[in-house]
Amino acid sequence: MRLSRSECYCLAMAGLRSAYITGAGAFLPGEPVGVDRMEDHLGRIGGRDSLLGRRALRWNGVETRHYALGQDGLPVISNAGMTAEAVRAALDDAGLGRGDLQFLAAATTQGDYLVPGHAASVHGELGGGPLEIASFQSVCGSSLMAAKSAWLQVRAGEHDVAVACAGEFSSRWFRPSFYEGSALVDAKGRLRAEADYLRFTLSDGAGAIVIEPKPRPDRLSLKIEFIDLVSLAGSFDPCMWAGAAVEDRTDPLATWSHAGPAAAQAAGAVALLQDFDLLKRVIRAWVGAYLEKVDQGRIVPAEIDHLLCHYSARSLREEIVGLLEKTAGMIPEEKWFSNLATVGNIGSASIWVMLEAFLRTGRLQRGQKVLCVVPESGRAFVGFMLLEAV
Amino acid sequence: MSEVADVLRRLAVVFTEFEARLEQTALIRKLTRGRFTLADYRAFLIGLRQQVKDGALWMSRAASNIDEQHLELRSKLMRHAVTEHRDFRLLDADYVATGGALADIEGAEKNLGSEALSAWMFHEASRPNPFGLLGAMWIIEGLGSIKAAEWGAMCRDRLALPDEAVRFLLYHGENDAEHIAEFETMLGLVLPDEAVAARIVRTAQVTARLYALQIEEICP
Repeated sequence: MRLSRSECYCLAMAGLRSAYITGAGAFLPGEPVGVDRMEDHLGRIGGRDSLLGRRALRWNGVETRHYALGQDGLPVISNAGMTAEAVRAALDDAGLGRGDLQFLAAATTQGDYLVPGHAASVHGELGGGPLEIASFQSVCGSSLMAAKSAWLQVRAGEHDVAVACAGEFSSRWFRPSFYEGSALVDAKGRLRAEADYLRFTLSDGAGAIVIEPKPRPDRLSLKIEFIDLVSLAGSFDPCMWAGAAVEDRTDPLATWSHAGPAAAQAAGAVALLQDFDLLKRVIRAWVGAYLEKVDQGRIVPAEIDHLLCHYSARSLREEIVGLLEKTAGMIPEEKWFSNLATVGNIGSASIWVMLEAFLRTGRLQRGQKVLCVVPESGRAFVGFMLLEAV
Repeated sequence: MSEVADVLRRLAVVFTEFEARLEQTALIRKLTRGRFTLADYRAFLIGLRQQVKDGALWMSRAASNIDEQHLELRSKLMRHAVTEHRDFRLLDADYVATGGALADIEGAEKNLGSEALSAWMFHEASRPNPFGLLGAMWIIEGLGSIKAAEWGAMCRDRLALPDEAVRFLLYHGENDAEHIAEFETMLGLVLPDEAVAARIVRTAQVTARLYALQIEEICP
């Protein structure tokens, strides 16, 4: 949406401020885990190696990842604990401390508790006095939902130091106990592909950013130009979900809590699942949402100096890249920055872990534009954030 | 917005919006949610047949309305029409392979959406230099190259049908890359031109809406 001059004037009169990312932090638990040791941490379904794992890894291009589960399968740190570590690191990077924090927006796919929200747990781990908080629960895209909230809080003048953070402890969902004895495992002990694929795709960690109304005087900050969030859930069924069996996933009344936890587990309604057929259509919908932004002039591919996309160029199918090129929408691959291959896909935490690593490379120059793209297959969602180095 | 890449981008957006709309239709919802029956598949084939049968006809009519300054485009449309004008026979064969009677698919009436779509296509094709129809081709060819194979595999798997009962949908899934390259060439024959570009996009939008209506009317 483009604003007219008079609308801009009204907004300026309303006192909206610019806001800047002044610090970033990441927390990755334990040592990097290679392909051959993944199931040592996650455990083996029925004691046997997964058949699908190799194929999933080829597709997602991840070589090493981190787990908050030790080799014995026991947790070494909680989701909230990891997220709090990332918040501390981000505040430290911004030259601030816990006492400076005024607003905390926390995102996750699933917190340590079902209730209350993740932000409360993160505040609990951080300690300290009263804070304004907000919890965002979705999948990868919840990161930008939290960031938009934090950005607008600062923009509106409600707070001067806001943090958007995200954490994931996906691996606990991939323990054999989530599947064994459920309808997801067949008579021969094989786990359904919808479940097994994600075991080799997602891993653990946390990330955070600090947002303030002024850029840092001593080094580069990132001015947030916009955060646009697009949900297409009105058209598409759940694509990556937990809380419903594969066959029942489109009926909210067939979800886990109606059957009760024990029956839901037996029906295979508790594990994280992915619909691959639908994923292909959702990928095209993401591309459509992106091209629409290009068409509106909201995103100008030629002006983007760095692209941080929570999705590897490698795993986009050839025809999608071909389509982006033919429609003048492609940002050349040399401008893509990604650490997905080494840190893994950390869901909502990925974009902050990626941004933190990107800022450490020293590649960013004043005046450059950084586009962050966060697609979420959960239910056809995609978020865009445009930043400018100032 | 009159360059080839700009029009292609706009068309890509129209197509993804079209896909999102199709996803919500009752028939496709049955297919993706595992509630699809053999009767639905037969109704689907009947529904598809109308546009497939008319396709080569409106394309021929469009070709006959293209002037001498655009002979290359005229040739392409004529060749296209020849290639496709018997395709509906494949739908008939699929229908019979499911155990349906040939007379049933041959004698089936167009649904309300098919009526509207067909009337629109012939209306557009009857105008001088009907370049807007490239937008209609983008939608219909896109269905063939992107959706058909996906739908075909789902129909086959959900209903445990043999491949020879799903040939139309499965066979249309090929030649995806070729399809875009060929289409780009055709756009290049009429662009850049602001008015033509706008008409192509508009025609794509109308065609997508009416096509979706045709699918909606299969399972009203």
